[in-house]
This record gives sequence, C-alpha cells and structure tokens, in this order.
Amino acid sequence: MPGLLEYAPAFFRGLLTTAFVAVVSIVGAALLSVLLGFARRSPRRAPRLASLVAVEVFRGASALVFLFWVYYAMPLLPGMPKLDPMVASILVLSLVGAAYGSEIVRAGIDAIDRGQLEACQALGLSNRQAMRRVVVPQAMSQIVPAFASLAADIVKWTSIVSFVGVQDVLHVANAIRGITYETIRVLTAVAVSYWLLCLVTSLLFRALEHRLPLNRALRAGGSREPLRPADRDLREAPR
Amino acid sequence: MTWDWAYAASILPDLLYGAWVTIGVTLASSVIALGGGLLIAIAGVTGGRAVHWAIRILIDLLRGVPILVLLYVGFYVLPQAGITLSALPIGIGVLGVVYAAFCSEVYRGALVGIPPGLRDAACALGLSPRQVWQLVLVPLMMRRAAPALMNYVLVLFKQSAFLFALGIPVLLGKAQEAGYASFRYLEPFTMAGLLYLAMNLPFVWLLSRVNPAHGHSAADRPPKPPRMPS
Repeated sequence: MPGLLEYAPAFFRGLLTTAFVAVVSIVGAALLSVLLGFARRSPRRAPRLASLVAVEVFRGASALVFLFWVYYAMPLLPGMPKLDPMVASILVLSLVGAAYGSEIVRAGIDAIDRGQLEACQALGLSNRQAMRRVVVPQAMSQIVPAFASLAADIVKWTSIVSFVGVQDVLHVANAIRGITYETIRVLTAVAVSYWLLCLVTSLLFRALEHRLPLNRALRAGGSREPLRPADRDLREAPR
Repeated sequence: MTWDWAYAASILPDLLYGAWVTIGVTLASSVIALGGGLLIAIAGVTGGRAVHWAIRILIDLLRGVPILVLLYVGFYVLPQAGITLSALPIGIGVLGVVYAAFCSEVYRGALVGIPPGLRDAACALGLSPRQVWQLVLVPLMMRRAAPALMNYVLVLFKQSAFLFALGIPVLLGKAQEAGYASFRYLEPFTMAGLLYLAMNLPFVWLLSRVNPAHGHSAADRPPKPPRMPS
C-alpha cells in the first residue's frame, strides 16, 4: 500500500484531466445541443434536414467508434488535419453529446403549450421575444434535469479518451496497474473516482435547477415541488 | 493517402465477421440484461428491506461507473478471485449485468404503473403469489416496458464496441486489427463506422414505430399530451 501512495499525485493529475475533458465536453455539448435543437425547429428546410442527419449519425454508433475514426482515419483524408488527442476527444464527445442533447432541447421546447406562443403573437411580441421571454425560461425547467443525466453519461464516456493517449485517470491507472500489479486497489480507486465525478455532476445540475427562473417563481408562489419533466422517457432516455 | 477499393474489399470479410460477433454478443448480453433486470426488479419488490437496499446500492454503483472500467474490473479482478474465464464470457457478462441494472429500473417503473386493484383482484381469485407474478404482473410489466427495453438493447448494441478492449473480435476490434496489420486505418475504421450505422438503422426504424419518444417521425407530428410510461 505505501508503494501505491507514491503514485497518488499522478493519479490526481489524471483525475483532473478527466474532469477537464468532461467539463469542456459538457459545455460544448450544451451549446451544440441548443444549436441543433433550434435548427430542427427552423422554418427553413435545409437546417432542419442537416440537423436531423447530424443527430441520427452521431446517435447511430458508440462515441468510441467516432473517436477512432476522427483520430486515426480522418487525418488520412487529403486536406484533413491531424488533431491533438485532447482536441479530437473533446470534439467527438461534444458532438455525440449534442446529438442526444438536441433531442432534449427540442422536446423541452415542444412541451410548452402552443397556446402560449399564440398568446405572445396576440400581445404583439416578435417570435424572438416570445422565445426568449416566454418559451425558453419555461422549457429550461424541463431541459436542465434531463441534461443532467446526459452530463453524467458524458462523464462516463470520457473513459474512452484513454484509447487515443489522453492521460486521463484510466490511462494513468492502467500504467500504475502495470507497474505495481495492485490491480484491485487501482481499479477500485478508478471506479470510485468516476462514481464521485458523476455524483458531483448531478449535484451541480441540481443546484442549477434550483436557480432556474420558473422553479424560483414557483417556490416564491408557495409551491414546494420543483418542476420536473412530466415525461420519464425524456429524463431517463437510455444512451 | 486515398481510398483503396481493393484493400477495402480484401478486409470486408473480416469486418463482416466482426459484425456477426457484434450481433451475437448483443443478443447474448440482451438475454442477461432483460432476464436479469426482471429478476432484480421482482427481488427488489418482494425481498425484505435489506435486499431492497442492497439492490439500490448495486444499481447506483453500476450506473455511476463507465462500462470500460467495469470491463477491466471483470477482466483483471475475477481471475484474482479464482474465477478464470476467457474474455468473451466476461465481456458478455459485464455488459449484461450493467444493462440488467438499467432494465430493472424500467421494469420497476412498469410495475409501479400497474393499478393495485389488479393485484387485489388476483388475490381474491385465489391465485398464489407465484401465480400472480407469473400470470398477471410479469406479462403486464413486459408489455409496458417493451419500448424502453428495446431502447436499451439498442444502446447495448452500440456499447458492445467496448468489448474490443478485452480483445474480443467485435466489429471495432476487427477494424483495428485490420488497420494495424497493414498500417492503413482509413478504410477499416470508415467501413466499421458505416457498418455500425447501417446495423443501427433497422433498430431505429423499429423503435420509431413502437416508441414515439425515440423516433422523429412521431415527434414531428403535432405534439400529443405527455405520455406517462409508468
């Protein structure tokens, strides 16, 4: 056991790398989700179609398959850059995350009663104003809890980056395992680390959920139950 | 380096073999996941408080740890515990157990949604507890859970790519092998990706028919009131 402690700093550096990849990928996935989700709702045909194809492709296979393609195969195409392992990982995780996330965004917006949009038009609000002031604040109460479980999934997906040489916690742990042969302890530490990262992620999203405008308004209005998606399929969608 | 059709054709049989292995692995671990999930759900309801909590903790653990890590645990830790199996059963077993945990939640949700009056009625008819489960509750749970369970089978199929990490010749593993042998990665990985997407299509089509929450075709129609699956 004292032998293992020697490797603790390396292990924590790996853990930090994992956390970094996860945070950047979650933020990237969130931004792209909004983009793709709204493209699906566009009045024009081209963005709708492009978004549909992108979502179906990136949901169609494991992130691992895309990571291998982007890292090993794509640079061989003429004119394509050789990406840094970290960049390739974050790119793939964001895109795959966004494919699932855009469905959450779209479902969240669809969940708002159409009558509200019509009421906005009757009040003379522009489409943009209606979205920004009425629809999106309410939709967020549906989107954020669902996105929380996606974010926890993205944290777990980051384990694949060890395959392309990013020095994440799994990569470092495999190296430590190879040197010390302390397989059980090292792998337990890795499993606990991921479990804690998932826990922290869901706690952060819980806090964010607490601060959403609609939930705050409901609390101020005396309702004790925070608003949660009515549709369990949306929250617990298998990925 | 550009696309080499002759090379692509030469590795196609290998990749197709990998595709078959992928399908076989998916089927085998689906059986474990669907059957095990049902057993876990029933045990969680009928067992005592201790069983209930043990199951909750187990499910929580399996959900919070990446499959890749669990595969390593199965592969490296089981032999130290005296259980020596080859990679294939370990891979199938780990995938199956992880998704059994996920599926048990689906079954549990389906069970909660069954009106309690039905159970009372079954009791009143003089069915034994075993018969109540076998003849009434399980068939109903199955029907209610089916769309969500199919979704998990689809996820299982995609995640089976991870088994290449244990050296199991799934599609991704075969592609990597082919690329490594000839130092040409463009064709194997591109073809593997396209094959994965192609194999996914029938699933998506099937799901869009049974489960409006998944498919686009249904979701693009005017919104329906939210459907509670449980």
